[in-house]
Amino acid sequence: MNVLSIKNLCKSYESFNLNNVSFDIKKGTIMGFIGRNGAGKTTTLKSILNFVHPDSGEILFFGKSFSENEFEIKQKLGFVSGGIDYYSKKKLRTITNVTRRFYKSWDEKAYDEYLKLFKLNDNKNADQLSAGMRVKYSLALALSHNAELLILDEPTSGLDPVSRDDLLDIFLTLCDKGITILFSTHITSDLEKCADTITYIKNGTIIASTDINTFTSKYKLVELTKEQLTDHIKPVLIGYKRSKSGYTAIINTEDSKKINVKCSDADLESIMIHIEKE
Amino acid sequence: MKNMLYKEIKLVTHPTTLIFLSLSAMMLIPNYPYYVTFFYSALGIFFMCLNGRENHDIFYTMTLPIRKKDIVKGRFLFVIAVELVQLLAAIPFALIRRTFTIPDNEVGIEANIAFFGLSLIMLGLFNLVFFTRYYKDPNKVGFSFALSSIIIAVYMILAETSVHVIPFMRDCIDTKDPQFLFPKLIFLTAGIIIYICTTYLGYRKSIKLFVALDL
Repeated sequence: MNVLSIKNLCKSYESFNLNNVSFDIKKGTIMGFIGRNGAGKTTTLKSILNFVHPDSGEILFFGKSFSENEFEIKQKLGFVSGGIDYYSKKKLRTITNVTRRFYKSWDEKAYDEYLKLFKLNDNKNADQLSAGMRVKYSLALALSHNAELLILDEPTSGLDPVSRDDLLDIFLTLCDKGITILFSTHITSDLEKCADTITYIKNGTIIASTDINTFTSKYKLVELTKEQLTDHIKPVLIGYKRSKSGYTAIINTEDSKKINVKCSDADLESIMIHIEKE
Repeated sequence: MKNMLYKEIKLVTHPTTLIFLSLSAMMLIPNYPYYVTFFYSALGIFFMCLNGRENHDIFYTMTLPIRKKDIVKGRFLFVIAVELVQLLAAIPFALIRRTFTIPDNEVGIEANIAFFGLSLIMLGLFNLVFFTRYYKDPNKVGFSFALSSIIIAVYMILAETSVHVIPFMRDCIDTKDPQFLFPKLIFLTAGIIIYICTTYLGYRKSIKLFVALDL
Protein backbone atom coordinates (compact mmCIF):
# COMPACT_ATOMS: atom_id res chain seq x y z
CA MET A 1 0.00 0.00 0.00
CA ASN A 2 1.28 3.46 -0.91
CA VAL A 3 1.33 5.79 2.08
CA LEU A 4 2.12 8.73 -0.16
CA SER A 5 1.57 8.96 -3.89
CA ILE A 6 2.48 12.01 -5.94
CA LYS A 7 1.62 12.32 -9.60
CA ASN A 8 2.72 15.01 -12.03
CA LEU A 9 3.22 17.74 -9.45
CA CYS A 10 4.07 21.03 -11.15
CA LYS A 11 4.86 24.42 -9.68
CA SER A 12 6.26 27.41 -11.55
CA TYR A 13 8.22 30.29 -10.11
CA GLU A 14 9.94 33.08 -12.03
CA SER A 15 13.31 31.36 -11.94
CA PHE A 16 12.47 27.78 -10.99
CA ASN A 17 10.01 25.07 -11.98
CA LEU A 18 8.96 21.75 -10.50
CA ASN A 19 8.27 19.57 -13.53
CA ASN A 20 5.87 16.62 -13.26
CA VAL A 21 7.26 15.37 -9.97
CA SER A 22 5.95 11.84 -9.36
CA PHE A 23 6.85 9.19 -6.81
CA ASP A 24 5.27 6.69 -4.41
CA ILE A 25 6.27 5.55 -0.94
CA LYS A 26 5.28 2.15 0.42
CA LYS A 27 4.29 1.60 4.04
CA GLY A 28 7.14 0.88 6.45
CA THR A 29 9.92 2.04 4.15
CA ILE A 30 12.43 4.87 4.26
CA MET A 31 12.73 6.97 1.14
CA GLY A 32 15.67 9.33 0.71
CA PHE A 33 14.81 12.43 -1.27
CA ILE A 34 18.07 13.69 -2.67
CA GLY A 35 19.27 16.54 -4.79
CA ARG A 36 21.70 19.41 -4.46
CA ASN A 37 20.80 22.66 -2.72
CA GLY A 38 18.10 24.44 -4.71
CA ALA A 39 17.12 21.32 -6.69
CA GLY A 40 13.51 21.54 -5.46
CA LYS A 41 13.41 19.22 -2.43
CA THR A 42 11.92 21.72 0.01
CA THR A 43 9.56 23.15 -2.63
CA THR A 44 8.30 19.63 -3.32
CA LEU A 45 7.75 18.94 0.38
CA LYS A 46 6.05 22.31 0.85
CA SER A 47 3.79 21.61 -2.13
CA ILE A 48 2.90 18.20 -0.71
CA LEU A 49 1.93 19.77 2.61
CA ASN A 50 -0.04 22.69 1.17
CA PHE A 51 2.46 25.35 2.27
CA VAL A 52 2.62 26.32 -1.40
CA HIS A 53 0.01 25.71 -4.06
CA PRO A 54 1.00 23.37 -6.86
CA ASP A 55 -0.09 24.49 -10.33
CA SER A 56 -1.19 20.93 -11.09
CA GLY A 57 -0.77 17.35 -9.96
CA GLU A 58 -2.30 14.87 -7.58
CA ILE A 59 -1.20 14.24 -3.98
CA LEU A 60 -2.65 11.25 -2.15
CA PHE A 61 -1.87 10.45 1.48
CA PHE A 62 -3.09 7.01 2.60
CA GLY A 63 -5.05 6.92 -0.67
CA LYS A 64 -6.88 10.17 0.10
CA SER A 65 -6.59 13.62 -1.43
CA PHE A 66 -4.72 16.00 0.89
CA SER A 67 -6.70 19.08 -0.09
CA GLU A 68 -10.01 17.40 0.78
CA ASN A 69 -8.84 15.58 3.92
CA GLU A 70 -6.22 17.97 5.34
CA PHE A 71 -7.43 17.73 8.94
CA GLU A 72 -7.65 13.93 8.99
CA ILE A 73 -4.36 13.37 7.16
CA LYS A 74 -2.40 15.76 9.39
CA GLN A 75 -3.45 13.69 12.41
CA LYS A 76 -1.38 10.82 10.96
CA LEU A 77 1.50 12.95 9.72
CA GLY A 78 4.64 14.32 11.33
CA PHE A 79 6.59 17.06 9.57
CA VAL A 80 10.04 17.89 10.84
CA SER A 81 11.94 20.64 9.07
CA GLY A 82 15.43 20.53 10.53
CA GLY A 83 15.12 21.16 14.26
CA ILE A 84 12.44 23.17 16.00
CA ASP A 85 12.95 26.84 15.15
CA TYR A 86 9.65 28.16 16.46
CA TYR A 87 9.10 29.71 19.86
CA SER A 88 12.72 29.16 20.81
CA LYS A 89 12.32 31.23 24.02
CA LYS A 90 9.42 29.13 25.25
CA LYS A 91 9.87 26.04 27.40
CA LEU A 92 9.48 22.80 25.47
CA ARG A 93 6.80 21.84 27.98
CA THR A 94 4.72 24.88 26.98
CA ILE A 95 5.02 24.01 23.28
CA THR A 96 4.10 20.40 24.04
CA ASN A 97 1.09 21.47 26.11
CA VAL A 98 -0.21 23.46 23.16
CA THR A 99 0.64 20.84 20.54
CA ARG A 100 -0.92 17.85 22.34
CA ARG A 101 -4.35 19.48 22.37
CA PHE A 102 -4.59 19.31 18.59
CA TYR A 103 -4.13 15.54 18.31
CA LYS A 104 -6.88 13.01 18.96
CA SER A 105 -4.41 10.18 19.44
CA TRP A 106 -1.81 11.97 21.57
CA ASP A 107 0.01 9.40 23.69
CA GLU A 108 1.42 10.98 26.85
CA LYS A 109 3.18 7.77 27.85
CA ALA A 110 4.93 7.59 24.47
CA TYR A 111 5.93 11.26 24.81
CA ASP A 112 7.54 10.61 28.21
CA GLU A 113 9.33 7.58 26.80
CA TYR A 114 10.71 9.53 23.85
CA LEU A 115 11.89 12.30 26.19
CA LYS A 116 13.79 9.67 28.18
CA LEU A 117 15.10 7.93 25.06
CA PHE A 118 16.33 11.19 23.56
CA LYS A 119 17.55 12.48 26.97
CA LEU A 120 15.43 15.62 26.56
CA ASN A 121 14.51 17.91 29.44
CA ASP A 122 11.25 19.63 28.55
CA ASN A 123 11.88 22.27 31.18
CA LYS A 124 14.45 23.79 28.82
CA ASN A 125 13.89 26.35 26.09
CA ALA A 126 14.45 25.30 22.49
CA ASP A 127 17.39 27.69 22.16
CA GLN A 128 19.16 25.87 24.99
CA LEU A 129 19.25 22.70 22.89
CA SER A 130 21.88 21.61 20.39
CA ALA A 131 20.87 21.16 16.74
CA GLY A 132 20.62 17.40 17.23
CA MET A 133 18.46 17.71 20.33
CA ARG A 134 16.12 20.10 18.49
CA VAL A 135 15.57 17.51 15.79
CA LYS A 136 14.97 14.89 18.47
CA TYR A 137 12.39 17.10 20.18
CA SER A 138 10.59 17.60 16.86
CA LEU A 139 10.64 13.84 16.37
CA ALA A 140 9.32 13.26 19.89
CA LEU A 141 6.37 15.54 19.13
CA ALA A 142 5.70 13.81 15.81
CA LEU A 143 5.95 10.32 17.28
CA SER A 144 3.81 11.03 20.34
CA HIS A 145 0.73 11.52 18.21
CA ASN A 146 1.40 8.18 16.55
CA ALA A 147 2.33 9.61 13.17
CA GLU A 148 2.27 6.92 10.50
CA LEU A 149 4.25 8.99 8.04
CA LEU A 150 7.19 11.21 8.92
CA ILE A 151 8.28 13.83 6.43
CA LEU A 152 11.70 15.10 7.38
CA ASP A 153 13.31 18.02 5.58
CA GLU A 154 17.08 17.76 5.98
CA PRO A 155 16.93 16.53 9.58
CA THR A 156 20.61 15.58 9.70
CA SER A 157 22.04 18.79 8.21
CA GLY A 158 24.25 20.52 10.74
CA LEU A 159 24.60 17.46 12.98
CA ASP A 160 27.92 15.87 13.90
CA PRO A 161 28.57 12.35 12.53
CA VAL A 162 27.76 10.63 15.85
CA SER A 163 24.44 12.48 16.27
CA ARG A 164 23.60 11.72 12.63
CA ASP A 165 24.29 8.06 13.17
CA ASP A 166 22.14 8.06 16.35
CA LEU A 167 19.31 9.60 14.41
CA LEU A 168 19.60 7.08 11.59
CA ASP A 169 19.38 4.28 14.15
CA ILE A 170 16.16 5.84 15.41
CA PHE A 171 14.79 5.96 11.86
CA LEU A 172 15.55 2.26 11.39
CA THR A 173 13.78 1.41 14.66
CA LEU A 174 10.75 3.46 13.61
CA CYS A 175 10.73 1.74 10.24
CA ASP A 176 10.65 -1.64 12.01
CA LYS A 177 7.51 -0.45 13.79
CA GLY A 178 5.82 0.17 10.43
CA ILE A 179 6.34 3.93 10.32
CA THR A 180 7.08 5.33 6.87
CA ILE A 181 9.74 8.00 6.46
CA LEU A 182 10.37 10.45 3.64
CA PHE A 183 13.68 12.03 4.34
CA SER A 184 15.16 14.84 2.23
CA THR A 185 18.88 15.36 2.41
CA HIS A 186 21.96 16.16 0.41
CA ILE A 187 24.12 13.99 2.73
CA THR A 188 23.98 10.84 0.64
CA SER A 189 26.03 8.70 3.04
CA ASP A 190 23.11 8.90 5.51
CA LEU A 191 20.84 7.27 2.98
CA GLU A 192 23.19 4.39 2.31
CA LYS A 193 22.88 3.52 5.99
CA CYS A 194 19.10 3.53 6.22
CA ALA A 195 17.10 4.19 3.04
CA ASP A 196 15.20 1.53 1.11
CA THR A 197 14.44 3.73 -1.87
CA ILE A 198 15.66 7.02 -3.23
CA THR A 199 14.07 9.74 -5.27
CA TYR A 200 16.56 12.00 -6.98
CA ILE A 201 15.54 15.49 -8.06
CA LYS A 202 17.64 17.67 -10.34
CA ASN A 203 16.59 21.19 -11.36
CA GLY A 204 13.00 20.46 -10.37
CA THR A 205 12.76 17.21 -12.34
CA ILE A 206 12.79 13.70 -10.90
CA ILE A 207 15.53 11.76 -12.63
CA ALA A 208 15.18 8.55 -10.61
CA SER A 209 12.80 7.04 -8.09
CA THR A 210 13.71 3.47 -7.30
CA ASP A 211 15.26 1.22 -4.68
CA ILE A 212 18.73 2.28 -3.68
CA ASN A 213 20.59 -0.81 -4.93
CA THR A 214 18.93 -0.70 -8.35
CA PHE A 215 19.94 2.94 -8.64
CA THR A 216 23.59 2.50 -7.61
CA SER A 217 24.02 -0.66 -9.72
CA LYS A 218 23.12 1.31 -12.85
CA TYR A 219 26.43 3.15 -12.69
CA LYS A 220 30.12 2.38 -12.33
CA LEU A 221 32.79 4.78 -11.21
CA VAL A 222 35.74 5.11 -13.56
CA GLU A 223 39.16 6.58 -12.85
CA LEU A 224 41.14 7.77 -15.84
CA THR A 225 44.54 9.19 -16.54
CA LYS A 226 44.86 12.20 -18.81
CA GLU A 227 45.92 9.90 -21.67
CA GLN A 228 42.86 7.68 -21.23
CA LEU A 229 40.48 10.63 -21.54
CA THR A 230 40.19 10.44 -25.31
CA ASP A 231 37.49 11.82 -27.60
CA HIS A 232 36.50 8.20 -28.21
CA ILE A 233 35.65 7.58 -24.55
CA LYS A 234 34.20 10.99 -23.64
CA PRO A 235 30.68 10.38 -25.08
CA VAL A 236 30.00 7.49 -22.67
CA LEU A 237 31.32 9.29 -19.59
CA ILE A 238 28.87 11.05 -17.31
CA GLY A 239 30.12 14.23 -15.64
CA TYR A 240 33.86 13.67 -15.89
CA LYS A 241 35.90 15.88 -13.59
CA ARG A 242 39.43 16.44 -12.40
CA SER A 243 40.72 14.39 -9.50
CA LYS A 244 44.08 14.31 -7.76
CA SER A 245 45.35 11.46 -9.92
CA GLY A 246 43.67 12.35 -13.21
CA TYR A 247 39.94 12.26 -13.91
CA THR A 248 36.89 10.52 -12.54
CA ALA A 249 33.47 9.97 -14.06
CA ILE A 250 30.56 7.61 -13.83
CA ILE A 251 29.41 5.44 -16.64
CA ASN A 252 26.34 3.34 -17.33
CA THR A 253 27.02 -0.21 -16.19
CA GLU A 254 26.38 -1.67 -19.66
CA ASP A 255 28.83 0.80 -21.21
CA SER A 256 31.51 -0.18 -18.68
CA LYS A 257 31.98 -3.51 -20.47
CA LYS A 258 32.71 -1.75 -23.76
CA ILE A 259 35.67 0.29 -22.59
CA ASN A 260 39.02 -0.76 -21.31
CA VAL A 261 39.38 1.30 -18.14
CA LYS A 262 39.33 0.47 -14.46
CA CYS A 263 35.75 0.56 -13.09
CA SER A 264 34.49 0.17 -9.55
CA ASP A 265 31.12 0.22 -7.83
CA ALA A 266 29.74 3.72 -7.54
CA ASP A 267 28.28 5.03 -4.31
CA LEU A 268 25.42 7.51 -4.10
CA GLU A 269 27.72 10.46 -3.48
CA SER A 270 29.89 9.87 -6.52
CA ILE A 271 26.81 9.25 -8.68
CA MET A 272 25.25 12.49 -7.49
CA ILE A 273 28.44 14.52 -7.93
CA HIS A 274 28.98 13.35 -11.49
CA ILE A 275 25.34 13.60 -12.53
CA GLU A 276 25.28 17.18 -11.28
CA LYS A 277 28.41 17.91 -13.36
CA GLU A 278 26.61 16.79 -16.49
CA MET B 1 -11.21 26.41 17.81
CA LYS B 2 -10.65 26.55 21.58
CA ASN B 3 -7.29 24.86 20.93
CA MET B 4 -6.36 27.69 18.57
CA LEU B 5 -7.34 30.25 21.20
CA TYR B 6 -5.25 28.37 23.77
CA LYS B 7 -2.31 28.47 21.36
CA GLU B 8 -2.77 32.21 20.81
CA ILE B 9 -2.73 32.84 24.57
CA LYS B 10 0.13 30.51 25.51
CA LEU B 11 2.46 31.08 22.57
CA VAL B 12 1.60 34.09 20.44
CA THR B 13 0.30 36.77 22.79
CA HIS B 14 2.90 39.35 23.72
CA PRO B 15 2.70 40.44 27.38
CA THR B 16 2.11 44.05 26.32
CA THR B 17 -1.11 42.99 24.56
CA LEU B 18 -2.53 42.04 27.96
CA ILE B 19 -0.87 44.90 29.85
CA PHE B 20 -2.45 47.40 27.44
CA LEU B 21 -5.88 46.17 28.53
CA SER B 22 -5.29 47.99 31.82
CA LEU B 23 -5.04 51.24 29.85
CA SER B 24 -8.82 51.30 29.78
CA ALA B 25 -8.29 53.19 33.06
CA MET B 26 -7.20 56.16 30.94
CA MET B 27 -10.86 57.11 30.86
CA LEU B 28 -10.17 58.66 34.24
CA ILE B 29 -7.68 61.19 32.84
CA PRO B 30 -9.56 64.49 33.09
CA ASN B 31 -8.66 65.86 29.65
CA TYR B 32 -7.57 63.36 27.04
CA PRO B 33 -8.40 62.03 23.55
CA TYR B 34 -9.90 58.76 24.81
CA TYR B 35 -9.67 57.08 21.40
CA VAL B 36 -5.98 56.62 22.21
CA THR B 37 -7.01 53.86 24.63
CA PHE B 38 -8.19 51.78 21.69
CA PHE B 39 -5.14 52.71 19.66
CA TYR B 40 -3.23 50.78 22.33
CA SER B 41 -5.45 47.73 21.61
CA ALA B 42 -4.35 47.98 17.98
CA LEU B 43 -0.71 48.34 19.09
CA GLY B 44 -1.04 45.21 21.26
CA ILE B 45 -2.46 43.27 18.30
CA PHE B 46 0.45 44.45 16.16
CA PHE B 47 2.95 43.26 18.82
CA MET B 48 1.22 39.91 18.85
CA CYS B 49 1.50 39.50 15.07
CA LEU B 50 5.11 40.68 15.21
CA ASN B 51 5.86 38.14 17.94
CA GLY B 52 4.26 35.45 15.76
CA ARG B 53 6.46 36.38 12.82
CA GLU B 54 9.67 36.37 14.87
CA ASN B 55 8.79 32.93 16.27
CA HIS B 56 7.70 31.34 12.98
CA ASP B 57 4.18 30.90 14.30
CA ILE B 58 2.65 30.30 10.88
CA PHE B 59 5.08 27.49 10.12
CA TYR B 60 4.42 25.86 13.50
CA THR B 61 0.66 26.22 13.15
CA MET B 62 0.68 24.84 9.60
CA THR B 63 2.21 21.60 10.89
CA LEU B 64 -0.72 21.12 13.28
CA PRO B 65 -3.83 19.22 12.18
CA ILE B 66 -5.88 22.24 11.20
CA ARG B 67 -7.00 23.77 7.93
CA LYS B 68 -5.06 26.78 6.67
CA LYS B 69 -8.08 29.07 7.03
CA ASP B 70 -8.35 28.10 10.72
CA ILE B 71 -5.16 30.09 11.34
CA VAL B 72 -7.02 33.26 10.29
CA LYS B 73 -10.14 32.26 12.20
CA GLY B 74 -8.21 31.69 15.43
CA ARG B 75 -6.42 35.03 15.13
CA PHE B 76 -9.62 36.96 14.43
CA LEU B 77 -11.44 35.36 17.37
CA PHE B 78 -8.61 36.25 19.71
CA VAL B 79 -8.35 39.80 18.37
CA ILE B 80 -12.10 40.36 18.75
CA ALA B 81 -11.82 39.07 22.34
CA VAL B 82 -8.97 41.52 23.08
CA GLU B 83 -10.87 44.45 21.60
CA LEU B 84 -14.09 43.65 23.43
CA VAL B 85 -12.30 43.13 26.75
CA GLN B 86 -10.58 46.52 26.27
CA LEU B 87 -13.95 48.11 25.60
CA LEU B 88 -15.77 46.36 28.45
CA ALA B 89 -12.93 47.21 30.83
CA ALA B 90 -13.32 50.89 29.89
CA ILE B 91 -17.03 50.99 30.81
CA PRO B 92 -16.57 51.00 34.63
CA PHE B 93 -14.12 53.89 34.34
CA ALA B 94 -16.53 55.80 32.12
CA LEU B 95 -19.23 55.18 34.75
CA ILE B 96 -16.92 56.54 37.45
CA ARG B 97 -16.58 59.73 35.41
CA ARG B 98 -20.35 59.97 35.19
CA THR B 99 -20.99 59.18 38.85
CA PHE B 100 -18.49 61.66 40.26
CA THR B 101 -18.54 65.24 39.18
CA ILE B 102 -15.42 65.22 37.08
CA PRO B 103 -15.14 68.31 34.84
CA ASP B 104 -15.88 67.96 31.10
CA ASN B 105 -13.17 66.63 28.80
CA GLU B 106 -11.75 69.75 27.14
CA VAL B 107 -9.63 67.86 24.62
CA GLY B 108 -12.14 65.64 22.88
CA ILE B 109 -15.34 63.69 23.22
CA GLU B 110 -16.72 62.67 26.63
CA ALA B 111 -16.33 58.98 27.58
CA ASN B 112 -20.01 58.39 26.88
CA ILE B 113 -22.22 55.89 25.03
CA ALA B 114 -21.65 57.54 21.63
CA PHE B 115 -17.89 57.46 22.21
CA PHE B 116 -18.00 53.66 22.56
CA GLY B 117 -19.92 53.40 19.29
CA LEU B 118 -17.39 55.64 17.55
CA SER B 119 -14.53 53.60 19.07
CA LEU B 120 -16.03 50.38 17.71
CA ILE B 121 -16.01 51.94 14.22
CA MET B 122 -12.31 52.75 14.73
CA LEU B 123 -11.50 49.18 15.79
CA GLY B 124 -13.52 47.77 12.88
CA LEU B 125 -11.55 49.98 10.48
CA PHE B 126 -8.31 48.74 12.04
CA ASN B 127 -9.34 45.10 11.64
CA LEU B 128 -10.30 45.63 8.02
CA VAL B 129 -7.19 47.53 6.96
CA PHE B 130 -4.56 45.79 9.12
CA PHE B 131 -5.54 42.17 8.53
CA THR B 132 -6.30 42.43 4.83
CA ARG B 133 -2.78 43.80 4.36
CA TYR B 134 -1.17 41.47 6.92
CA TYR B 135 -2.54 38.27 5.38
CA LYS B 136 -1.32 39.36 1.96
CA ASP B 137 2.22 38.99 3.31
CA PRO B 138 2.60 38.24 7.04
CA ASN B 139 6.30 39.11 6.86
CA LYS B 140 5.41 42.76 6.22
CA VAL B 141 3.56 43.18 9.49
CA GLY B 142 5.21 46.59 10.13
CA PHE B 143 3.86 48.01 6.88
CA SER B 144 0.40 46.64 7.65
CA PHE B 145 0.45 48.38 11.02
CA ALA B 146 1.79 51.66 9.59
CA LEU B 147 -0.99 51.72 7.01
CA SER B 148 -3.75 50.87 9.48
CA SER B 149 -2.35 53.38 12.03
CA ILE B 150 -2.57 56.17 9.48
CA ILE B 151 -6.18 55.27 8.71
CA ILE B 152 -7.27 55.14 12.34
CA ALA B 153 -5.27 58.28 13.19
CA VAL B 154 -7.15 60.17 10.45
CA TYR B 155 -10.40 58.74 11.81
CA MET B 156 -9.50 59.83 15.36
CA ILE B 157 -8.64 63.35 14.21
CA LEU B 158 -11.89 63.65 12.26
CA ALA B 159 -13.96 62.27 15.14
CA GLU B 160 -12.35 64.53 17.72
CA THR B 161 -12.52 67.58 15.45
CA SER B 162 -16.20 66.97 14.79
CA VAL B 163 -17.11 67.52 18.46
CA HIS B 164 -15.46 70.94 18.29
CA VAL B 165 -16.75 72.17 14.95
CA ILE B 166 -20.07 70.45 14.21
CA PRO B 167 -22.84 71.95 16.38
CA PHE B 168 -24.85 68.69 16.64
CA MET B 169 -21.78 66.74 17.73
CA ARG B 170 -20.71 69.47 20.18
CA ASP B 171 -24.09 70.16 21.76
CA CYS B 172 -25.65 66.72 21.62
CA ILE B 173 -23.06 63.94 21.31
CA ASP B 174 -20.20 65.45 23.34
CA THR B 175 -22.24 65.55 26.55
CA LYS B 176 -22.34 63.49 29.68
CA ASP B 177 -24.70 60.54 29.90
CA PRO B 178 -27.64 60.24 30.20
CA GLN B 179 -28.21 63.53 28.33
CA PHE B 180 -29.33 63.05 24.69
CA LEU B 181 -29.49 59.33 25.28
CA PHE B 182 -31.43 58.46 22.12
CA PRO B 183 -29.00 59.93 19.53
CA LYS B 184 -26.10 58.46 21.50
CA LEU B 185 -27.71 55.01 21.40
CA ILE B 186 -28.03 55.40 17.63
CA PHE B 187 -24.28 56.08 17.48
CA LEU B 188 -23.62 53.00 19.63
CA THR B 189 -25.87 50.80 17.49
CA ALA B 190 -24.27 52.11 14.30
CA GLY B 191 -20.85 51.46 15.85
CA ILE B 192 -21.74 47.86 16.70
CA ILE B 193 -23.14 47.22 13.21
CA ILE B 194 -20.16 48.83 11.46
CA TYR B 195 -17.71 46.94 13.72
CA ILE B 196 -19.38 43.61 12.89
CA CYS B 197 -19.51 44.38 9.14
CA THR B 198 -15.93 45.67 8.78
CA THR B 199 -14.47 42.89 10.93
CA TYR B 200 -16.42 40.21 9.05
CA LEU B 201 -15.40 41.72 5.72
CA GLY B 202 -11.77 41.80 6.90
CA TYR B 203 -12.06 38.17 8.04
CA ARG B 204 -13.48 36.91 4.74
CA LYS B 205 -10.93 38.81 2.67
CA SER B 206 -8.07 37.70 4.96
CA ILE B 207 -9.03 34.04 4.55
CA LYS B 208 -9.11 34.45 0.77
CA LEU B 209 -5.69 36.11 0.73
CA PHE B 210 -4.03 33.75 3.20
CA VAL B 211 -5.34 30.55 1.63
CA ALA B 212 -3.98 31.71 -1.74
CA LEU B 213 -0.59 32.66 -0.27
CA ASP B 214 2.48 30.49 -0.88
CA LEU B 215 4.37 30.19 2.41
